[in-house]
Amino acid sequence: MKLLSKKGILFIFLIIAIIGGVIGFKMANKSHLDISSSAPKITIQATQLIDEFLINETTANANYLDKLIAVNGTISSIKTEDENGIISLKTADDFGSVLCHLSKEATQILPQIKIGQNIQIKGICTGFLMDVILVRCEIINQ
Amino acid sequence: MNYFLSTLFLFFCLQLVQSQERYLTKNGTITFFSKAPIENIEAKNQQVLSIIDTNNGSMAISILMKSFLFEKALMQEHFNENYVESDKFPKATFKGTILNFSNISSSPSKFQVKGTITIHGESKEITIEGLFSKTASEITAIGDFTINLDDFKVKIPAVVAKNIAKNIKISFDFNHQPFQKQ
Repeated sequence: MKLLSKKGILFIFLIIAIIGGVIGFKMANKSHLDISSSAPKITIQATQLIDEFLINETTANANYLDKLIAVNGTISSIKTEDENGIISLKTADDFGSVLCHLSKEATQILPQIKIGQNIQIKGICTGFLMDVILVRCEIINQ
Repeated sequence: MNYFLSTLFLFFCLQLVQSQERYLTKNGTITFFSKAPIENIEAKNQQVLSIIDTNNGSMAISILMKSFLFEKALMQEHFNENYVESDKFPKATFKGTILNFSNISSSPSKFQVKGTITIHGESKEITIEGLFSKTASEITAIGDFTINLDDFKVKIPAVVAKNIAKNIKISFDFNHQPFQKQ
């Protein structure tokens, strides 16, 4: 008994190949996390964030690295480097701050922001050097 | 005599202040570029910390691996999870000395930096050439060099080996400013 003709089998294989190809292509080209439309899982004060890194960097890395987090703080400096805005948030530490590297879109809002004001920023934490660093940041509240 | 001593003391203090001078940048740029037949891979990190001690020309650089941003999310994922294992080795570092540091002038010219680079937990002696310039308000360093992935035990799975070059070109652009406490 012949369930399927040779043509039929070929056709099914072709369909599977096309679906596989599309999925593969989608996976290879999957886009970065859209920060502006994603809700941060963690909200924290700038001082508390840097304290956690100062006390135990390994634990803090495990908790925050590569995660979208929201940080509350007071702006201690604002600058633009290579057309990207950088806001640093004051902490209790003498040397370190929370350095927020803004996205292109967030950089546009920079003129409305002043040193000394309180702000909430969300971004991806990439780790701690002298400062805790957040990249691709968006401003939530000013 | 007293006057002489106090002048000497003052002079000594000034020397001490000068000798503590450090220049740093918290937003140095490092890009790496891998040329391969199928696709070129490029990533940029604009959060590099670099410190130069003007007293002896020593240079220290710290790089967060997670700060390398790729055009494609999947590339970034593979880079962090499979190749450099950034959860285990979150930082790359360089510690070295700029040779003939005192000769650096305000016009950019070639200098060598000799030191140790650590990536993926593996260290290697390296000499890097770059264009350096120095004024009172900034020290700039621009250049590029090539590293071999085998030196740092970065394993590339055989399936994708032909897509990823063994030799990676690394470019840097640092603009250090005098350090002042915020």
